[in-house]
Amino acid sequence: MRVTTMSRRWLLAVSACTVLVVVAGCSSSKKTSGTTSTPPAAVGSTSAASGGASTASASTASASTAGSSAAPADTSAIKIAVIDAQSGQSSSLGKWEYDGVKLAVDQANAAGGINGRKVELTVFDDQADPTVSTNLARKAVSGGFIAILGPAESADAIAMSPILQQAKIPYITSGQSPAMPKLGDPYLFLNSPTSTTYDTTLANYAVKTANFTHIAMITNNGAYGKGEHDAFTAALKALNVTPVTDQIVTPDQTDFSAALTSIRQKNPDALFIGAEEVESGLIVKQARGLGIKATIIGAAPTSTPIFVQTAGTANAEGAVSSTPYLTNDTNAQTKAFAAAYDAAYGTEPELHGAKAYDGAEIMLQALKTTNGAGGQALDDAIRAVKYQGLVGNFAFDATGVGVHETQIGIIKNGVLTAAS
Amino acid sequence: MQLFFQTLVGGIGFGAVYALVGMGFTIVYRTMGLVNFAHGQIAMIGAFLSATFFLDTKLPFAVAAIMSMAATAVVGLAIEGILRPLEARDFDLMLIGTLGFGVVLEAVATRIWGATGRAVPAPVDRPLQIFGIIIRTYDLVVIGVGAVATVAVWVLLNRTKAGAAMQAVAMDRDAATSVGIRVGRSNAMAFALGAGLAALAGSLAAPLLYVTPSLGSSLGIKGFCAAILGGFGNINGAVIGGLAFGILDGFAAGHFQQYSDTVTFLVFAVAIMVRPTGILGELTVNRA
Repeated sequence: MRVTTMSRRWLLAVSACTVLVVVAGCSSSKKTSGTTSTPPAAVGSTSAASGGASTASASTASASTAGSSAAPADTSAIKIAVIDAQSGQSSSLGKWEYDGVKLAVDQANAAGGINGRKVELTVFDDQADPTVSTNLARKAVSGGFIAILGPAESADAIAMSPILQQAKIPYITSGQSPAMPKLGDPYLFLNSPTSTTYDTTLANYAVKTANFTHIAMITNNGAYGKGEHDAFTAALKALNVTPVTDQIVTPDQTDFSAALTSIRQKNPDALFIGAEEVESGLIVKQARGLGIKATIIGAAPTSTPIFVQTAGTANAEGAVSSTPYLTNDTNAQTKAFAAAYDAAYGTEPELHGAKAYDGAEIMLQALKTTNGAGGQALDDAIRAVKYQGLVGNFAFDATGVGVHETQIGIIKNGVLTAAS
Repeated sequence: MQLFFQTLVGGIGFGAVYALVGMGFTIVYRTMGLVNFAHGQIAMIGAFLSATFFLDTKLPFAVAAIMSMAATAVVGLAIEGILRPLEARDFDLMLIGTLGFGVVLEAVATRIWGATGRAVPAPVDRPLQIFGIIIRTYDLVVIGVGAVATVAVWVLLNRTKAGAAMQAVAMDRDAATSVGIRVGRSNAMAFALGAGLAALAGSLAAPLLYVTPSLGSSLGIKGFCAAILGGFGNINGAVIGGLAFGILDGFAAGHFQQYSDTVTFLVFAVAIMVRPTGILGELTVNRA
């Protein structure tokens, strides 16, 4: 292919333009990575745009409010950070969480905000990486955020804890690891039960209702998986059941042949999975591929659409999960939430969106009490909130856990339904 | 024993993918002396493209993979074209350039397909049972396709004029130029071929893994290790290295469970210290 000077130049010019366009296009999305130092407000609107449906972003709307009104303090926007994975394998969690939070905040802002003040949300992408989340926590402190919603990853929340505790910034996380309440961090709150609750309910169902006798376990050694492992083992022990095998994998492992072969040799009737959504899905896909027919049991991850999608609908059929949020049709409140969520994002909500919505509602209620003030006052106000939420009736204890109940659901035709 | 063979089979399946990634690295390296650090991300683009063709356009899996390979080869050509002016000036800059392209490709993928990623169902998923060992049919597909691709690359390099030209450039760039071989075209071919192989690896990996923009870095690192382990610059080495790395990874996962990654890379590091030229040991192409 002989390239003449002219066409060569033309090619170069075109490619240079392409690079420029690409770089310009991406620079905004790269901002969400959080490792770059960008003004937070831009980040929020970027993610809202990539999120799809929502047009009137809370952050952009209220950012302008913040800009125009500098003088009286009581009309300035209240800054809340959402720190969550917006990229990587756990980004679905981060997206659900952000969507749930944003819905609650948008509704509150539309209804006049917190005693007349708008709430300004800014999303930071922690990539489900504790190192990144630590940096973002520092950024939130220096950026003047008075509260944080997120992260969805227990490990990230644990990493952020010392910084937020020192800065007296309350945060409501979607993580479930029992390691979090053990931190003794007075600013940490959970928007769902811990793994202990999930797995006690699950173990009781597996042993007493479903009469499983040979239960195998596969969990990852991340903060969430470790929490699941310990909680489920303890719950089984209380029922005098010993798992037939206990396999540990890593959170970013992709080939589970070895662990699954050991499991298959034990011929279990139930397989407990303690791993995030996508990894749980991959494990089930490979387990079925290796001929393991055991019933899949797990906590929240096995109830999600992303799990079903990753595993494949046929492979996920019959999977049992323990969840505080079974369906969108549970009561009038969940129906209203589902309708609003659907209207905003064009998709049905699930557990993670629901509990993030609850967390945001609690935060908003507490902010109303403190009249927009943060710090210790906000912390006390959150702990005092009694809230009838989508995932349960919240009443926070000293460790930051607000709900202590889950139900059992079963995947039927790819959809979570209540166990009869 | 059953566990041993089962782990072996699983390891070979993933090894075939690493081998394909490693081969792509190698082809570009042996021709240009350049490590293409965007290679993993190119594989990720290939995975996304074939997932899109397979799931959204509803094309058969094989057709989707081939179309993805063609489209990704064009991406490879574009990268080479943009980086070409750097080759004569500063090779280190070209290296940095590929790193930059890796970042750009990941951002582009996030832009186009979102960060959430997608699951790709295996086109065939009936397990076969032989002597108590369960073999996933899809693993066989991956191994078979990997073998065919290896042979095709070998034929291309050793039995065609273009391949001979690429080999000549790899051996002695100046001598090749003086006998009238167009080095630029040879480089472009290497990049396109490398990108096509990356897309094939990505397409095959998609049903085994989960396709996200960050898939590139994990595939890239393991494929690069495979190429180094086999002997960087050696096509057969990349295949052997890939299989060895996949098997190593599988056994490490079985025996060391949560410490598998640590053990895998530790063994890899020791192997490279003992034999820096890799298993097959290739002469080091040094153009920089």
